[in-house]
Amino acid sequence: MDRSIIHINIADFAAAVERRLDRRLEGRPLIIAPQGAARATVFDMSEEAYRAGVRKGMPLGRAARLSRDMLVRPPQPARYEQAMADLLRQALPYSPLIEPGESDGHLFVDVTGTSRLFGPAVDVAWRMRRQARKDLGLDPIWTLAANKLVSKVASRLVKPIGEYIVAPGDEEAFLAPLPVWLIPGIESTDLLRLRELNLTRVHQITALGPGHLEVALGSQAAFVERAVRGQDNTAVRPVGQKPLQVTLEHTFGTDTHAPAELEAQLYALVEKAGHALRRQGRAARRVIVTADYSDGRRCIRQFRVEPPTANDLALFPLAQRALHLATARRTRVRHLRLTCDRLVYPPAQLPLFEEERRTVARQDCIIAAVDRVRERFGWGAVAVAR
Amino acid sequence: MQEASTTKTQISAGRLRVGTSGYSYPEWNDAGFYPPGTPAKEMLALYAKHFSITELNYTWYQMPKAAALERMLPKVPSGFGFAAKLTRTMTHEIDPHGWRGQVAQFREGIAPLVQAGRLTALLAQLPAAFQRTEENRRYLALLLDALNGLPVAVEFRHRSWAEERVFAELQKRRVPLVAVDVPDLPYLFPSLDVVTNPDLFYLRFHGRNAKGWRSGDMQKQFDYLYTSAELQPWSQEKIPRMAAQARDGIIFFNNHVRGQAPRNAKMLAEQLGVQSP
Repeated sequence: MDRSIIHINIADFAAAVERRLDRRLEGRPLIIAPQGAARATVFDMSEEAYRAGVRKGMPLGRAARLSRDMLVRPPQPARYEQAMADLLRQALPYSPLIEPGESDGHLFVDVTGTSRLFGPAVDVAWRMRRQARKDLGLDPIWTLAANKLVSKVASRLVKPIGEYIVAPGDEEAFLAPLPVWLIPGIESTDLLRLRELNLTRVHQITALGPGHLEVALGSQAAFVERAVRGQDNTAVRPVGQKPLQVTLEHTFGTDTHAPAELEAQLYALVEKAGHALRRQGRAARRVIVTADYSDGRRCIRQFRVEPPTANDLALFPLAQRALHLATARRTRVRHLRLTCDRLVYPPAQLPLFEEERRTVARQDCIIAAVDRVRERFGWGAVAVAR
Repeated sequence: MQEASTTKTQISAGRLRVGTSGYSYPEWNDAGFYPPGTPAKEMLALYAKHFSITELNYTWYQMPKAAALERMLPKVPSGFGFAAKLTRTMTHEIDPHGWRGQVAQFREGIAPLVQAGRLTALLAQLPAAFQRTEENRRYLALLLDALNGLPVAVEFRHRSWAEERVFAELQKRRVPLVAVDVPDLPYLFPSLDVVTNPDLFYLRFHGRNAKGWRSGDMQKQFDYLYTSAELQPWSQEKIPRMAAQARDGIIFFNNHVRGQAPRNAKMLAEQLGVQSP
């Protein structure tokens, strides 16, 4: 049976929520960022601010200078969570399969097989958008496709406003003329490799065939091949189901408080977590380190990952900081747990600054090379010197 | 209005085409119109074995995309026609400043059907809230001007438009007034057989579920199965009268729930003597 997956996406979510509460913010470039904090960076921005050159993660001082009209408001996470809860509540009557994003205005709703109850899926999507406008004052993008990947691409295509219906069976033709970077889940190393080969459009890659693609991308070829053909069987999770996460644990043979030993073990966990994330085509937006002490006490510390990543070299510094905070007691540690959660499709947007772009590209290249070696010769064939 | 004698034999069946409003409904698999498990991408080709025209509903929800329509054309035989519904941003959610841009986008999107000579009509369906006020009259006139050159037909939902002056203006512009079969509700545009364009008449059957119509739920609104007796006044009197005044006629059933539309479309086609493709 054809699936019907609706993607509801409120572009510039934090800015949209702030504007709903304060109409004076309409039509002016708006930045959401913690004011007064040293080295504050942009958390979110309105479309006007985006057009003025503001990007997520940009230093606030620099961003605020890009337009004389620029308004800055502090992030209000509770408001965004409330708005997400409202959005979710409106979708609940239509399906038990609703997968909300992490307070980011994204919602996948699987309405497969509900047409006898609620009418055609396209009408459900339009009604959800109309309700969001009427009751919440938010104007979401809505898209409808046979799977999550294609509905997500369609949202990216029409952003910041609009709708897109991809008829079942039209996935490949729909994706064919698009730039490859719009397809979620393709890693930046693979994008760079494809660009080196002058393959920037989806139809150029589908024309290659699996054999040639494998030569170019190695073990990632199968995933990329499926993605560019619009094939995605991942299910929309039921409402309330625990979000996807990658969790890895290690119990020390002898309890320890030696920083080098703790870090070495943490790095091994990060490597495995990164590999698992990359295999799923997802990136983590949060790392959590849990330390269980010899005396039975537990300490948990976490860091937000911005931008989301599946790269070990980018994840480790954050995990390391969490570890330092979690193991601050002068007591030995028995058990370590690393959790990567708030999983998202890797961001389509490349880093803004050239230097940062180079760093990310270099890190991705290293990890991709390590993956290739390990897939061919086994996990222990190569290790990162630390 | 011209009076015409009313026998089935006087209709030239070749000029009449009967179809349904939309063709891609998963529930039509269960209803038996499509074989069980038919995927959506195969529905149009199967539909075209039963009917020679369809009304594209999805263009009301989103602007038609030229590439998608181009992909649709090879799935149907050469004589197959399309009616397309005008996008909601020009009928139901009108942006006073942006609608002209929407018209331009629509023209661009629908171009493959126009170029292939397959666009039989363009349906501008105006909601019940769109009453006959000076502002709305002016908007409609501007919209029809902007759509000039396309085979646009107008369907009103509000009774206030059931006026001789409205029909005369449409006649002057050679714009078909869409005749409807609807529940007998006081505010709805009535079921008339007025023809305002000698080239084409356009008829839509929405079902007569008055209770469902008021519910605001599409699945109840269009949940209705016409009986043969209910269709006979149309097939024996009204449609022949309309056919006598227009060269071609297109008829659609919008009671899509549980596959009732194709059942009724076949029933009416049989009563009219319209052959399957």
